Order: sequence, then C-alpha cells, then structure tokens
Amino acid sequence: MSATANRSDRRLLERSRYRLTPGTALLTSLIILVAIVAAFPLLWMVLSSLKTPQETMTVPPVWLPATPSLDAFFKVAGVVSLGSSFINSAIIAVVATVAINVTSLMAGYAFAKYEFRFREPLFALLLATMFLPPIVTLIPLYRMVSYMGLTASLAGVIVPNLANAFGIFLMRQFIKGVPDELIEAARIDGCSEMRVLFQIVAPSVLPAIAALTLFAFVYHWNSYLWPLTVLQGNTDAYPIVISLSRLLSYNRGAMNTGLVMAGATLAVLPPVILFVLLQRFFVDSVVSSGVKG
Amino acid sequence: MHLLRTFARAAGTLAVLASSTALVQAADVSFLTHWAPDTVAKLEAAAKTYSESHPDTKITVRAVPFGDLLTTLRSSGGGADGATIAGIYDAWLPDLVKDKLVAPVPDAMAADTKSNWPAGVIGAASIGGTLYGIPNEIDVYALNYNKKLFADAGITAPPKTWDELLADAEKLTDKSKGQQGFGLINSWAAGVLHPFSSLLVSNGGDLVVDGKPTLDSKAATETFNLYETLVKKGYSDPAMGTSDANTTGPFLDNFVSEKTGMIIMANWWESALKSGMGDKFADIATAPIPVGPSGDKARSISYSWMTVVNAKAPADEQKAAWDFLNWLNGPSSGPNGASAMGDILMSMGILPSRTSDGAAFADRLNSDPFLKGYTETLANAKGFPVVLGGQEFSEALQKTLEALQFGQLSAADAQSQAQSDATEILTRAAQ
Amino acid sequence: MLRKQNRLAAAMLAPATVLIGVFILVPMLLTIWLSFQNWSTQTGFETARFVGVQNFVDIFSNSSIGRDFKTALVNTAIYTVLSVVLILPLSVVLGLLVHQKLAPGGVFLRTVLFSTYMVPMIAVALVFSKLYSPTEGPINQILGWFFIPPQPWLSSPKTALVSVVLLNVWQQVGYFTVLAVAGLTQIPDSLYEAARIDGARAIERFWAITLPLLGNTLLFSAVIAIINSVQVFEPVALITQGGPIDSTNVLTYHIRRVGIERAQGGLGSAMAVTLMLALIVTIVAVFAFARSREART
Repeated sequence: MSATANRSDRRLLERSRYRLTPGTALLTSLIILVAIVAAFPLLWMVLSSLKTPQETMTVPPVWLPATPSLDAFFKVAGVVSLGSSFINSAIIAVVATVAINVTSLMAGYAFAKYEFRFREPLFALLLATMFLPPIVTLIPLYRMVSYMGLTASLAGVIVPNLANAFGIFLMRQFIKGVPDELIEAARIDGCSEMRVLFQIVAPSVLPAIAALTLFAFVYHWNSYLWPLTVLQGNTDAYPIVISLSRLLSYNRGAMNTGLVMAGATLAVLPPVILFVLLQRFFVDSVVSSGVKG
Repeated sequence: MHLLRTFARAAGTLAVLASSTALVQAADVSFLTHWAPDTVAKLEAAAKTYSESHPDTKITVRAVPFGDLLTTLRSSGGGADGATIAGIYDAWLPDLVKDKLVAPVPDAMAADTKSNWPAGVIGAASIGGTLYGIPNEIDVYALNYNKKLFADAGITAPPKTWDELLADAEKLTDKSKGQQGFGLINSWAAGVLHPFSSLLVSNGGDLVVDGKPTLDSKAATETFNLYETLVKKGYSDPAMGTSDANTTGPFLDNFVSEKTGMIIMANWWESALKSGMGDKFADIATAPIPVGPSGDKARSISYSWMTVVNAKAPADEQKAAWDFLNWLNGPSSGPNGASAMGDILMSMGILPSRTSDGAAFADRLNSDPFLKGYTETLANAKGFPVVLGGQEFSEALQKTLEALQFGQLSAADAQSQAQSDATEILTRAAQ
Repeated sequence: MLRKQNRLAAAMLAPATVLIGVFILVPMLLTIWLSFQNWSTQTGFETARFVGVQNFVDIFSNSSIGRDFKTALVNTAIYTVLSVVLILPLSVVLGLLVHQKLAPGGVFLRTVLFSTYMVPMIAVALVFSKLYSPTEGPINQILGWFFIPPQPWLSSPKTALVSVVLLNVWQQVGYFTVLAVAGLTQIPDSLYEAARIDGARAIERFWAITLPLLGNTLLFSAVIAIINSVQVFEPVALITQGGPIDSTNVLTYHIRRVGIERAQGGLGSAMAVTLMLALIVTIVAVFAFARSREART
C-alpha cells in the first residue's frame, strides 16, 4: 500500500510545474477574477434565460433562478422561426466562407508566388480596402444591388462578400512560406496552375485556411447592418441575428427580459461552439497576421 | 323547382368560369408592418381567410422592429420588390408622396373610405385633396396616473390645470423612495414630442400653423417654462424616462413599479401596463390633459396610422393589394360588423378609427375605464402636424426638448433654438 | 515566361480583384461622386443634381444639419479614443497574465477572453442593456456592494457614451489580448535573462524590454482598434438610437439615418467622405507617430 502511495505522490510532484508562493497565488486569483469579469455577461445572459418573468423584474436583481425553466426558449421558438433563421445564417456564412477561401487562395498565391507588373501597388490598393468602414459604401452599394435585382434575397447579402482583402493578405503571408521547390516539382510533373494551387499549396497552408474559415464564418454569422439593409423586411430570408432583433418588438416591458436573453443565448451558441473547436488555428492565424510583415 | 335547378346550374358554371379566369393571374402581395409577433399572427390569419375566397392572391407579412420600419420603407422604396402594402405613421406620408412612392387610393375606394372615416383622419391620409392611404389606427394622449400613489399623497382628483399639476407633482415626489411626481420621456421621438405637444395645445398653442412653426408664441413659452420647472424642482427625473428602440424601457418600468405618479402617454401602451402590473393595473386611471394658463379647455394630440400601397409595384399587384385592404378594413371581415383590422387593433388595446368599428366595439371601449379616458379626449384632439420634412422636424425638436429635460438648455434658449431649427427645416423641405 | 506569368496572374487574381473592385471600389467612387450631388436615396442615380460643395458646406455649418454632424463626429472621435486608450493597455496587461508561466490558467483565460469576440454584437447589445438597467441590472447592484452609488449608465447623456465604450471594450479585449500575446512570444527570453542578471527589477524589465519590443504589435492593434471603433452600430441602433440627446449618436448610425431613413443621399455621402478622410488622416498620424518613436530608439 505504501509503495503505490509513494508512486502517486511522486507523480503528483513531478506533474506540478507551479510553485505556490504569494506571488503565484496572487496571479492565479487575478486570472480567476478576470475570467469571471469577462464571462459574467454571458453567464448572466444564460441564467436570465432560465428565470421566470417575475424573477427578471425584481429589484434588487435576483441572480440564480429558483427553478430553472426552458419556457423562454420555447417561447422564442414560437415567436421567431428559429429553424429557417439558422438555415439562412448558415447559408450566408458557408457560401461566403467557401468563396472567400477560394478567391483568397487564388489571389494570395498570385501575390506570393508570381512576378508581374503592378504587383505591389495592386496589393497595396486591395489592402487599403480593408480600412474602409462598410458604412462609407453602404448607400451606393445598396443602389447597385438593387439595380442587379438582388434586394430582399440572400443572394444580395452574399454576392458583395465573395472576396475579402484580409483573406488575401492572410493567404499571401502563409503561401510565401511554401517552398518554391515544391511548386516547381509539381509544375514539372505537368500540373496545371489550378492543380498546383489546390492540391499542393492549399494543403500546406491548412492552418491559414482553418483560420480564415473561422474568421469569415463568424464574421458573416454575426453580420447585422448589411443584411438588415438588403433584406428589407423579408423575414423569410432573415438570418438569426436579425430575427432576434424582432424579439425587441415582442410586447413591451421588463418582463420579457428572459425571452430576449434566451434569444441572445441561441444566437451566441454556433459561433462560440465553432470557436472552441477551432480556436487553436484562429489564435495562430491572428498571431501570424498581426506580427509578421 | 325545375327553374331553380337551371338557375343553380348556370350560376355554378358562371362561378367556375369566373374563378378560373381569376386563377389565370396570381398576385404576390407583401405587407410590411412593425407589429409584434402575436399581432402578426392575427394578420396572417386574416390573410389566410382572404386567400381562401381569393385564391389568386398570396399575402405574406414582413415584420420589422418599429425602429427599423421607416428605414426599411425608405430603402425598399424606388424598387418594384419593395413591400406592396405598408403600415405607415401619418407624419411620413408627405415625403413619401413627394418622392412618388405611394399610390393614390383608387377612386371608388376613395369615395367609400371618405364616407366611413372621420374627416380629421381622412385629412391626415390625404395630400392636396387626394387620398393616399386607408387609415386604421388612431392614437391619442391622456394623463395617466396612479390612484394609489395619489391617495397616499392625499390627492383626491387628477389635476385639471397646470398649477394643480405642479402642486400634485410636488406632493408625489419623494426622493427617498426614488419616486418622481411627473414622468418625462426621452430617447424616443414620439415620447418626447407628443406629451409636450399635448400640453402645448391644451395651453391654446400650436406646433405648426399653415406650414410655419409657431414655437415662438406665448403659449409655447409657458410650455417650455413648465418643463423647466418640472425638472429644476425635481418633480421629473430625466434619468427615469429613458426609452429604447422599441418604446419600452425605464420610463415604462418606473410607471409599472409605481415610482412615477403621473405621465402623459398614448392609449396603446395599455397592453404593456396590463402585463407588467398584473392586478395592480386597477390602480391606473386616465384623465384629460391639464389646461394651461393660456388655454380654454383640455385638448390633446392625436396621430394616426394608415396602410399605403407601393406605387412602384406591378399594376396587378397593386390592384390585388387594394382589394385586400378593402376587405381587411371593411365591415364584413371581422366579428359583429367590425373589420378584421379593427379586431387586430383592439387586441393590442389600440383604437380603430373607422366609424363603424367604433360602433361595433362600443361596448368593449365603454367598459374599459382605461380606454374610456382616451375616447373622451379624442373629441378634442388635434392631429400632430403632417408636413414635408416632418421626420427631420420631429427629430430636431426632440433633441432640443431632451436638452431642456437634462438641463443643458434654459427654457428661453430651447424655445429660440426650436423655432429657428423648425423654420429652417420646414422651409428647406418645402423646396 | 514573364508574359505567361502575367496571364496566369491575371487569371488567378481576376475573381478577387473583380469582386473587390466592383463591390468596394466602385461604391467608394460613387460615394465620392454623390457627395457633390443632391440626390434622394430612393431614386435612381440619374436623378442626381450637381451642387458642388454645398453638402460639405451644410455639414460644417451652424444649421441643425451641421450641429448634428458635428455631434456625431465628436462622439465617434471620443468613442474611438476612449476605446483605444482602454483596450491597448488592458490587452498588454491581460496578455502578460495569459503569457506568464508562473501560475496556471493562462490558456483557460485566453479562451474565455477570446470567446467574447465571437459573440454577435446584437447579443452583446441586448445583454448589456439589461446589465446596465439602473434598477434591475446587476452592475449597479455590484457597485452597491462597494458602496458606490448607482449610476444612470445608458439613461444619462453624461454616461451613455462611456457605457457603450465599456461594452465595446469587453467584446474586443480578447482579440487584442491574443495579439499582445503574439507580440510577447516574439520577445526572446535571453533579453529578460540578461536584464535579470544585470539586476533589473520586474517593472524595469517591463518598461525597458517588453514595451518597446511590443511596438509593432501595439501599432497594428491601434490601427485595428480605430477601424473597429469607427464601425460601431448595433448598440446604438438597438438600445440608444443615438440618445439621450444625441450623446451616443455616432457616424455609422447618423449616416444611416440621414442617408437612408431621410433619403438625403448627397448629405449622407458627404458625411461618409469626411469620415473616410478623417480615418486616413488618423491612421497616417498613428503610423507617423510610431515611426518617429522607432527613429528615436
């Protein structure tokens, strides 16, 4: 018995890299404190969605629901067509993400591996569009989309977003790191440029693709102003974030806090879940995009 | 007997022929509204009933939050794929007509409408004598007060004059309990303007006369001063009056939780009060707007909503839309000789403006003491001005009044700024 | 070879360039053109009437148009400055917390912080509007535990803008913390070792080594933070509508109100152009500042 006890003791000691000092205790408590402050609004949101309307209205506020209930969620499902909203959001996000990946890979490859006139000025020009707040182009872009007959449809939301300057920037950074020999070898083997790009280069920059996927997906899932402007009340095409804003018109008063919080919880889930699954790639890409070049 | 059968057969054949020709053209009609999901469900039910007898018309409802309604209307305007029908607030009509975005009501329907609705509402839905929409909702403002708080403060009757209003507000204000005597509203244009205007017209004044702002009148001076007094003496706490994108928020919550003694608000917030207060709603009563020193009798401000048809929609869609609206607002679509529209409005605690609806719902209206206070004020209500540039005029005046509420401007400065802004905006819009 | 590469490059670049050209550059040029026109947004482009610089004169005049624009511009500027001033130092401090190896929980903290960036702005706006509620919200309640009086938050023109800034900082700080961590990982440990041997204390090591070597990262963060701040929309549209008394009226919201709701396309475009110019000037200034500091060290 003592032998096994000793062995597990030693294993515990070996595993712990952290020494307990006042300094580290302070740091740990600081970390916990910051985590709580950061997570607090989201925790409040989830807790409120489980409360009864009376509980959400009490002054001073009640924190924990006495008997958590999913009533608010069922109500939201009855008020907002969750199914079609989620599908619309998914369509917008997936199509945009795939298109952005493809166009960025192609353009990034050209900027990284080809020599041609105006390469640098063109790159600078495209990059400059990253700094343009969408509101600046909102009005004429809306008119243009209207001329194309795409208003009030998902196509109108997606089509202007099929390419993205940040994506090009990211791909160029990563593709630069792909060894030229690899590409040359493929060309000598007789591959067309498209095959080189999608069969050789793309697999080598998988982290960048994963990162761009996450970034583009979350951005378009959360996008509000442009879909709102283009869809003009066509509730069939509403993505979830806009459908939820309809909850604001649901009756009037503080007693609907639970309903609104339930809706917010539902909207938050997909991007956060996706993030938790892919976070390593996203963080890595943020790291390399921010610091290199 | 034999003759009857022949007639029946002929009628049947005619019916089949008629319906099959109707089936040839199908029209897709969309209805843009700001109503809450519960109410939208009722509208959709009415649309379904209509489609059963008119299989060639398909009606879809597009709902947006109130804060987005005008923007949605504006961004879809000028396009054939904008909503065919839209529920609009009467103040938006002049600019929409100027930009040729709404179609005039077809003549036959116009004549019918004019005979079934009161003149004031018809006026608000017409520009230059031409009718552009079918009125539905009429809203009016009255003094709402909490009888229990009144009793606690030893007040027996609601204030009839401004002096009484100030005296009562003083008695009802109790800082230790976080209680304010009179509630003001901010962050929402109508909430800021309409109570102010109600007080102004109850003081014998006006906002706009013949297209020119009259905010520099003596009656207006007294109204601005009233606000300044309410805030300076602490009877009104502007921080308790905030509103959010959907006209809910602290101003409502404070009245519901009995922290506000009196407030001037419109009839449609009845459903919000009921669901927020539960049984305590019985403590709420309504009264006419107190009369100011320069006024002769209690007046109020009213405004209306109407449904309009998109002038850029294809002709067959427009016709289908007018037919639907004719039915929806007509006496055969709802229970007991009321219209389906009237029924929908009453479910929200909103007053329908059609004369026959008023009669059909007379019992319900008379037995609801809360609404009774409003229907009585309606007789002496002036419509909120419907002018070109109305929205911009409202927003500018809203800002000035909010600055007055929060003590950033004196009454005198607020008045001169309001008048000069209004003059500039209305002249520019009329060009 | 070169010509072949040119053709290949053209083919590879075509989709992205055409899309960005059509959907970003063309509208941008249109905005500039429209800023010199009198145009109703609800009508086609053919109804635009040339009015020279009248729109620009109007937005800088003393009329209600000019006053509103000035308020929106000032609010946006204050909002941006406050956001950047809060986010950058916080991101460095939090970055240090995440990066350090003395106590556990760094990765956990990074996950928690970064996940707030994933939350849709509408959810953030809705949740915070409830948190900020003067009577039913927990924030005032928590302040009460520390004997701080309840604040009006979104209900007062003095505090509304700051309330929205705090909301923005909460949402974004995770992203910038990760950037800071990236910058910190690039600093070689040997530098710290050398400093430690020389007897430098932790604080001195921070000022002498960490901060200067984070310069590049901080520059990038500052630019991204500025661009993000200028785009703030949902909290204003969903909760405050620019109020109270226009204290949270920011340019995005104001341009949408003027350009779309009031259909004054020319004025809206003039405002958009001014915003664009202000942004360019600011970013150039930030870069110039950074370069001058680099030159000095």
